[in-house]
Amino acid sequence: MKIRAIVLLGTVAVACLLLLTLQMRGYTAVATDALAVVTTPIQSTLARINRSAVGVWSTYRDWKNVRAENRRLRDEAQQLRVEALQVTETIEENRRLRRLLALKAAMPLETLSGEIIAREWGGWVRSLTVNRGRSDHVSRMTAVIAPDGLIGRVVDVRPGASVVQVLIDPASTVGAHAVRSRTAGIVEGEPRGTMRFKYMARDGAGLEVGDLVVTSGSGGLFPRGIPIGRVRAIDDRGSALFHYAQLAPAVDFARIDEVLLIVGEGAHDLAALFEGNGG
Amino acid sequence: MRTLVVVAVFGGGIAHATLGPALRIADVAPDIPLIVVVLLALRRGPEFGCAAGFIAGLLQDAASGGLLGVQAFTKALIGFGIGALGGRLRVSQPLVQVPGLVLLTIAEGLARFALLKLFHFPAPFLAVMTYVVLPQALYNGFLGAALVLALTWSESMRERTT
Repeated sequence: MKIRAIVLLGTVAVACLLLLTLQMRGYTAVATDALAVVTTPIQSTLARINRSAVGVWSTYRDWKNVRAENRRLRDEAQQLRVEALQVTETIEENRRLRRLLALKAAMPLETLSGEIIAREWGGWVRSLTVNRGRSDHVSRMTAVIAPDGLIGRVVDVRPGASVVQVLIDPASTVGAHAVRSRTAGIVEGEPRGTMRFKYMARDGAGLEVGDLVVTSGSGGLFPRGIPIGRVRAIDDRGSALFHYAQLAPAVDFARIDEVLLIVGEGAHDLAALFEGNGG
Repeated sequence: MRTLVVVAVFGGGIAHATLGPALRIADVAPDIPLIVVVLLALRRGPEFGCAAGFIAGLLQDAASGGLLGVQAFTKALIGFGIGALGGRLRVSQPLVQVPGLVLLTIAEGLARFALLKLFHFPAPFLAVMTYVVLPQALYNGFLGAALVLALTWSESMRERTT
């Protein structure tokens, strides 16, 4: 057994040294060709197995990487979406504030800017709470406007806030007139969250859908010429004393965030300030 | 026996070709055929170890594109030596396996370097030892020990089931 093993080792050693010598003497081709007959099919098989194994392995790794990358990209996309929303929100806020500032600068009356901090949107009461109150010298019945038109009036003043009754509140009434036909009347809020223009039948012959209705300034509460809304439909009640026109509000009360409170006094026609807004 | 040699050597070759690149750490890959040859030689004796080492080494030579016969010779030597000493070695402990495989890899590296030097191998000894042989020896030591443990565990499981 031992002799067999030693003979085997000797044979192996001789074979190896012979192979090496052949190669060093330039018979590389002979040696490699001789081995290639045996090794090439084996190598091909190994390579094929290797390829498949590596393929499976790399597919698995790719899949893992893709999964990790997918998670990372999703987080990044989420982050970017939030950032984009913040940017959009900031741009929008900037635009609104610029408009408000432009209106404030153009106003011949003293105004106070305020931010909406709460909304009461039940059918009974429709109001907004502004972050300006008694400490800012706000008083009841102060007119509240936005760059698009009239919002309402202050009905309750608190130390740091004021409650504004909006035009669509069922208890709200504002003296108004149609700009084109000069038809005078009263704008009333309705429980369903809309508002209507109530006018004397004899005066309303010329009222048309699309007509702009603005504050009349009568009573001295609201300055004249602030847009209230446009006529959406006319309710002709035949021989009744009063007729009604449904109005589409000039201001989107649900979306308004910043307002101006008119704290100064004096009779002014503000129509010119709102002309750019369709007024 | 022949079947076992073929299966074991080819298994080692396949493992080396397939797992080698995946197991590479900091550009150091284990010499899986060497580990297989050592394990086979320990269990089956010097003849088996020598034959397995020769075939495995030859395949590696052919696959690597180097001089044919270098690894065939060194691995045959290692297989023979371990096979001959196998009965006298206590190799069931990882504390023996790890340094044992480290030393065997270094021995195989030294033998390979010496053989290559005969054929005008240009690389300096220190660089070969520092950057090639020693890192691979350490890797082989730990991987070989893990393989031995896995084999022992699978054998004990098989015995328990039978």
